[in-house]
Amino acid sequence: MKWFYIRWGGVLIVAATIGIFGIQRYNRDVTAISPDRLLREQPTQMVRVLGMVEAGSVIKEAEGKPIGFQLSGEGAKIGVQYQGEEAENLRDLKTVVVVGKWNSTTQTFESEKLALVPNYGFVTAAYLISLLPMGLFLFNMERKVALLYILIKEEKVYQPEQLAEEQLERR
Amino acid sequence: MIVSRLIARLQRYEGWFGVAAGLLIMVGLYMGLVTSSPDYYQGEVVRIMYIHVPAAQSAMFAYTVLFGGSVWYLWKRDPIVDNMSHAAAGIGVFFTLVALITGSIWAKPTWNTWWTWDPRLISFAIMLLILVGYLMLRTFLEDKEKEATYAAIIAIIGFVDLPIIHFSVEWWRTLHQPLSISTRGVSIARDMLIPLLLMSVGFYLLFAYMLMVRTQMLYLQHLLEAKRGRMLSKVHL
Repeated sequence: MKWFYIRWGGVLIVAATIGIFGIQRYNRDVTAISPDRLLREQPTQMVRVLGMVEAGSVIKEAEGKPIGFQLSGEGAKIGVQYQGEEAENLRDLKTVVVVGKWNSTTQTFESEKLALVPNYGFVTAAYLISLLPMGLFLFNMERKVALLYILIKEEKVYQPEQLAEEQLERR
Repeated sequence: MIVSRLIARLQRYEGWFGVAAGLLIMVGLYMGLVTSSPDYYQGEVVRIMYIHVPAAQSAMFAYTVLFGGSVWYLWKRDPIVDNMSHAAAGIGVFFTLVALITGSIWAKPTWNTWWTWDPRLISFAIMLLILVGYLMLRTFLEDKEKEATYAAIIAIIGFVDLPIIHFSVEWWRTLHQPLSISTRGVSIARDMLIPLLLMSVGFYLLFAYMLMVRTQMLYLQHLLEAKRGRMLSKVHL
């Protein structure tokens, strides 16, 4: 049984390490903040902001010039200057994620990348619901096999039930 | 007996199946979750495919093993093959549940519903019911030989559901998307196809590994019961 637990301990360590990397990556590349939080925290580094494109706010001046629009969410609005590729998703009332930096002097969010709402909650739920029970199912089976080997080893000689009962009665 | 010998021989490489499955699944997960691109229409949600499709394929493979084992058992009365079929049913229930739950999670953001009465979904849920029925029957009967025979008959009858599951998306064009890999060709981008194939092969190997462990478990349970003198049947001695 010792090796069994060592092996599964190793699997657990590997799984925990992957989980930590996954959480780090999520916090770095996937998670998005609201315009309200952006205004409160005024971050200086690159951030992802999730919000809805305000109706009638998209202004495209000329080819090659940044597209301006208002992004709203959780009761706050921010002005965005988008300089990336022209995206089909940039339209009124569409919920999008804009990736870029907050310029506190001009009070605008300068973005070069536009992403769809990731819906990562569904993806995470699907993977956790599959992989955790899978690990538990396998662990349980392997543990049972290991325990059965021990039990069988302990059952030294075959004793028919009737004979065993007679012996018990005699005692 | 040929199959018993084959099972015993494969059992020697049990660990390798586990290691290979673990490695392929890890690489597949990395590619599927990190390097592959999001889908044009579905966005990031498409990444559920890398766990949902292999789970569904493994569930169907588990039933195919159960069917093959049941036919073989009725023909040759090989108790090890009966153990293997019993083990495949248990694992099949697990993979079917995983496929149904992940499919439901995928359906919510793409179809805006957790469940719909779609032929593919219904036929898949029926497979779960057949497998659960198979396992329940095995717990009801006292006579081990009868149990194995009746269970094998149920598994063979239930196999009719498998072609229905497979072709349901071709026969009835409903919400569920048609086959991405078929005789007509491959309609899936390369950077999505590779992690999907890796995960599928990984899941098949994982199924094989689970099957070996579970067959061993059932065999040892019967052996222990027999050793304790509680269940000396013709089937397991």
